[in-house]
Amino acid sequence: MFAAKVKKTQTKLRYGVKGKQIKFFDAQGVDELVSICMTLAQELWVVKERLATVEAAAAKKGVILGDEVEGYAFTPEQRAVMEEEKAKFIDRVFFTLREQSEALEIDAKDEPDPPKLP
Amino acid sequence: MTENVDHDLKVSYTRDETARQHFVSGMRSYILNHLAGNLRTVYAKKVEPAFKNKNKRAPKTAPEIHKALKDETVFKFYSALRCNTQEMVWRSVIPGVEREVDELAMRAKVLNQSDEKAKGTVRTDPKLQIPRNVSELDVHLMPGGYHEERVAGDVSQGAIYDNGLSVFAMGLLGPRMDDITQSVSTFFAKRYPDFKPRRILDLGCSIGHSSLPWKERYPEAEVFGIDVGAPLVRYAHARAQSYGVTAHFEQKDAENTGFADESFDVIYSCMFLHEVPKRGIRNIFKEARRLLKPGGVMLHYELPPNKMLTAYDGFYLDWDSFYNKEPYYKPFRDMDPEEECKVAGFKTSKFFQYVVPSMSFYGEKAVTEAVSHTKTEGDSNVGRFADGVRWYTFGAWKQ
Repeated sequence: MFAAKVKKTQTKLRYGVKGKQIKFFDAQGVDELVSICMTLAQELWVVKERLATVEAAAAKKGVILGDEVEGYAFTPEQRAVMEEEKAKFIDRVFFTLREQSEALEIDAKDEPDPPKLP
Repeated sequence: MTENVDHDLKVSYTRDETARQHFVSGMRSYILNHLAGNLRTVYAKKVEPAFKNKNKRAPKTAPEIHKALKDETVFKFYSALRCNTQEMVWRSVIPGVEREVDELAMRAKVLNQSDEKAKGTVRTDPKLQIPRNVSELDVHLMPGGYHEERVAGDVSQGAIYDNGLSVFAMGLLGPRMDDITQSVSTFFAKRYPDFKPRRILDLGCSIGHSSLPWKERYPEAEVFGIDVGAPLVRYAHARAQSYGVTAHFEQKDAENTGFADESFDVIYSCMFLHEVPKRGIRNIFKEARRLLKPGGVMLHYELPPNKMLTAYDGFYLDWDSFYNKEPYYKPFRDMDPEEECKVAGFKTSKFFQYVVPSMSFYGEKAVTEAVSHTKTEGDSNVGRFADGVRWYTFGAWKQ
């Protein structure tokens, strides 16, 4: 049904929310720290889910991983992929800091206000 | 693909992206079921007694409770985690959509032009003025809202909404994320067994998940969905085509649809009005009355009005209005649905409101049982998006 060849456009979508940033804590920077901690927790979960998958897949083949993981050396190609993944990982964890500066670049002067806080 | 997006516009995600989505759903469940409970305990055991001590009475209104709670650490963490999780919902699905922007547009185009499985239609209107509540706001913290477009025939905001909803729903909305309309339309068909609508219109239909259950309930009827977002109506139609359901989608503003007078039997909306300013809601009710045939019905699934809830439950639901970029949510919930139907010209005696159990949570039998005894007051689960949710619906018949 979808036989047509697609022309790729390198389109970038927006990840950050435009307009006023919502804050909860009085001490400067705490909101950002919460965001960063949450992303770290998320990334830790990603690792745990992947590790569980690797262990389950290996066990299915009768391979119990142990020393092999400890002594493993990546090839330069594998290392390059890891470097790229690491950069993306850091960007995701610290996303909240990027979002703040990006939000300044999007015109959102006419954004409707929330109701007045009690 | 995300859990509930199984049609031809599904997006491929890597294992790590999927794990990120799992985390977000888990966080939401933790916040809405557990942290929300902690918040209520701190209120009941600490904040309310302190308020009573100082004022010689309990807080009477939602804003009083909000004011008393907002400096508590538990409230700040509950709120900060909820906002972050909400943003993470969208961020967890954007990468796959971004990779497949062009592919999705092509697949939507093919589906929209095909009459293989269904014979629906779709029409966009590039001249349509996008209302400020959509164009200027990343509503519920969703980057790009319902309308942003980047490539020809773009459906990416539809894909973000669909996949995001799948992560957001934590399984509460059923396999096609249409539990609200499945529950409401089932209830409605059982409550009014003699009513046989021929033309049904879904306002602010987004990806059409609230439109299609009407076709299931009334297979003879023609079903229409309108939305101001072009990517949304393109996506809604392609999704319907993929599922083999014939429905018609148009890019239109619900305040001024351009449809003929008395051309529909049912005017429906699902989770739509609370994203519209008061003036717009009033225009929509008037427009709905104009579009209805005599004997037709206007029916909205919505968040319950504040006057139906305790002060605490009112405070709890209004949270989104202050912190989730949903500024019209509280003003809507402060409105009186019965009064607004009357202002639009519906007779008070023709007004109705029901609380309908979630069909995917409680089962169809519970929906059938609710037909004979629905209660609307003092129910903490109404409109509260967590385990055991019950849906609030209201409307009026046109004489």
